[in-house]
Parts: sequence; structure tokens; C-alpha cells
Amino acid sequence: MHDIIRLVWFDLKQELKPPVWIMLQWLTFTVQLFIYGAIISQLVLATKIANYQEFYAVGFIVMMTFEVGSHTGRHFVEHAHEGLLPYWLSLPISRTKLFLAITLQGGAELALMLGVPLAITLAMIGNLTIVSVTAAIATLFCLGFGVAGLMLGFSFIAFKSSDLYTAVVTGLSTVLIRFSTVLYPLIFLPSGYRPVAQLSPLTYGSDLVRLILGFDPSIMTYDPIIAVAVLVALAVSTLGLGMFLLQRLVEGVKSG
Amino acid sequence: MTELGCILRLARNDFSYFFRTKWLMAILLSLHLSDMLVVALTYKNFMTIDYFRFFVPATVIMGLFVAALDTGRRIWLAFREGVIQYYLSLPISVNGVVLAYLLAGGLAALVYSTSLLLIALLVLPAQAIWTILILLPFLFVLAMGLAGISASLAAVASTHGEYFFAYQQIVQMLLLTLSTVYYPIESVQKYLPSSLIGIVSANPLSQAAEAMRQYAFAGNPIQPLALLNILIASIPFTIIGAVAYLSALRAVQRKGKL
Repeated sequence: MHDIIRLVWFDLKQELKPPVWIMLQWLTFTVQLFIYGAIISQLVLATKIANYQEFYAVGFIVMMTFEVGSHTGRHFVEHAHEGLLPYWLSLPISRTKLFLAITLQGGAELALMLGVPLAITLAMIGNLTIVSVTAAIATLFCLGFGVAGLMLGFSFIAFKSSDLYTAVVTGLSTVLIRFSTVLYPLIFLPSGYRPVAQLSPLTYGSDLVRLILGFDPSIMTYDPIIAVAVLVALAVSTLGLGMFLLQRLVEGVKSG
Repeated sequence: MTELGCILRLARNDFSYFFRTKWLMAILLSLHLSDMLVVALTYKNFMTIDYFRFFVPATVIMGLFVAALDTGRRIWLAFREGVIQYYLSLPISVNGVVLAYLLAGGLAALVYSTSLLLIALLVLPAQAIWTILILLPFLFVLAMGLAGISASLAAVASTHGEYFFAYQQIVQMLLLTLSTVYYPIESVQKYLPSSLIGIVSANPLSQAAEAMRQYAFAGNPIQPLALLNILIASIPFTIIGAVAYLSALRAVQRKGKL
């Protein structure tokens, strides 16, 4: 455990000294919620979405979770590109421990980035219980780990071309967010787009978090049990794939 | 080769580098096309205004803005990787290097946003297509101004290179949020204090987005004052950016580094 914590801290301290990126995420969230979210919600028909600012706040939290999760995957590729990964692989620790360190580092980063935005959102929504808050946090972490695992799974592309990897991952990220229920309920998406949105993991994550936080249950695309099952399956399977890939990486690997 | 020839070759090199960066193209195209064809179309279904008609013209300006801001990233890279030392060794003046970067930044943004505009014209019929040709030179000046903002950030951040992207994100977020790109001025007036409403109205992005909506897509007659306002709002940024970049280059010439 000591080795894992040292590895996590080794990577995390660069983010904290000084915590520019964390503060920037908090600032972005605040501006987006209290300027963009507030003004755009004036344009939304109250009969369609009762309080769009709150709806958007949860959507933005899900987007941040997605960004931090995918950053964990990209970070892994950057380490391969910069030569840090071969160094880690040469350390006298097992691949399982190394994988745990990468995953925990992603989890810690997610907690730091989401702390303030989530607190603001929860305070704004109000009328919450410990169970609902805990369940919402658990859902977000499950989604974050799933996305991180997905991006780690894609990292094999980077060992052929890091440029192609960045293009695939960033393009995919934008499409996954837009074709999901992060910014709007499924019923408002044009009918041709709905099947794509129903496949997006973000649809399951955002719908479930909103349901837990007391939003209108009619916005749910799927049964909550199915959403929980999909998110857990996504996290377990993609993290399993990431671990499998890491076991097969050899020292000296470098992203192209 | 004349100084002008050197400037144009340097500008061409930077211009082509923008379009050859695959990941950047993937980000920009996926972002703006999905904004236009997914977000605008979906928002239309639950808004009090025809958001598709409102937002599609603004997406073109967003494309111009983001592409122009990439000039700063290229300048920052040139500082970080020492390419700037190579440029300074070329038979071209420092002013020429600055001019080449601003020209390339403005032109790359204009070409990129024109490609978005062509897609916008396919999905949203414009009432006055020829008006767009009148708007293009003004959009080019605006793109040079935005490239100037970005160049200033690169010059300021050159000693703390890793912060460049943080500065860029803050500027991008504030300029877009405090503009009428996403929402009409009437909604802004209902929510923001009067001091901020002034900033929103003076923001060159607001003016360009409004010009695109009113003159190109709605077909209203062009108001020369509106075009003049775009120039007045953009030229100072171009000058500030040029001076900041020039100072950074002079510092490199003098000390060998920043």
C-alpha cells in the first residue's frame, strides 16, 4: 500500500503545486453555472424543463467527471510519450500495484476537481439526504472510472500514433457529450439522434445522478437498475481491459 | 527574396501547420459541427426562441474565435521548442515575424470559419449571401485581433509556459460567456448588472455574431456603424498582441531566452 500511495502522490503533487488546474475547473464551473446557465435558463420554457439551471449544473458535473476520467487515460499516454511509463515499468512493483496507483490517482484527481462544484450544486438543489448525496457521488465515481478505463483501453492506438490517439479521443469526447442527456433530456433530442444518445454511457450517468438528486423521474431514459448495471459493467470491464493491457506492456514502450 | 516574400512564406508555413494538426482539426470540427447540428437543433425544441436560427450563425463566429486563439498555442510552441531562435536567424525583421504570425492566424481562422459558414448555409438558408462577402474582410480583422489576444497570452506566459493554456481557457470562457454568442442581449439585460452589459455589448464577438445573424442570415441591410464597431473593437487587440509578441521576441534577441 505504501508503494501505491507514493506513486499516487508522486503524480498528484504536480497538480497541487500550485493547484492551477483545479482552481481553473472550479472557476469554469462557477462562471458557466452562474452566467451561462442562469441566462440560458431564462430562454427555456418552464413547461418543458422546470429549472434548467439546476439541470445544467448536474450536466456540467457529469461533463467534468467525464473530462477528468478521460484525462486519466490521456495522462497515461503522455507518460508513455515522455518516458515516465518505461521508468514505472522498471520499478520493483507489480503491474497490479501500478495499475491501482494509476486508478487511485485518477480517483483523487476527480475528488479534488469535483469537490467545490458538487458542493455548490448540492447546495443549490437543496432538500437532500446523506443517502442521496452518497449515491450521487458513487455514481459519478463509477462513471469516472468507466471513462478512465475506456480511455486507457484506447491507449494502444497511441503506441502507433499519439497524434491519432488525441484526435480519436477528443473527437469521441465531444460527440459522446453532445449525443447524450448531459445537456438536455432525451425527449428533446431529434428522433434520429436518440438511438445514439441511448448508447452513450453519459446518458446513464447523468440520468441516474439527476434521479438520485430528486429531479423528475420522467426524464429517465432507462430503468434506474439498468443504469446502475451499465455503469458498474462499464467501470469493471474497461478497468479490466486497462489492467490486461498494462500486464502486457513491455519496458521501453514509447508512444509514437 | 524580399522582406515581403519572407513574411508571406513564414505566414504560409504557420497557416499550413494549423490545418495539418490532426488532433486540433478533430477537436474543432467535432465541437462546432456538433454545436451546430446537435445542440442548436435540440435546444430549439424547448426554448422560447428559434434557437437553431439564433445559434447557427454564432457558431461560425465561435469557430473564428477558437481558430484564431490557436495562434497563441503555435507561438507558445515556437518559444518552448526553440523554433523562435530559428525564425530570428532568418533574413527577416522581428516586425516581419510578428506580422507573419498575425496574418497566418487571421487567415487560418477566416478559412476555418468560412468552411463552417458553408455548412451553416446548407442547414440554414441565408437571406443575403452576398452580404457575407462584405462581412469577410471585417471578420479577417476581427480574427487578427483575436490572434493578437492569443499572442499576448503566449508572450506573457512564455516564462511560465505551462500556464498558457490556463490563461487561454480563462480568456476563452470570459469572452464567450460575456457575449451574445449564446443568448440574445435582452436576456443578458435581465440578468447581468449594467457594468457587465456594457462589456457584453462592446465585446467584438457579440458584434460579429450579431452582424452574421442580422445581415447575412436575416437579410437586413448592412449598417456601416456596426461594421465600424467591429473594427474599433478588434484593432486595439491586434496592436496589443503585436506589441506583446514583439517585446517577447526582442527579449529573446537580447538575452537568448525569455
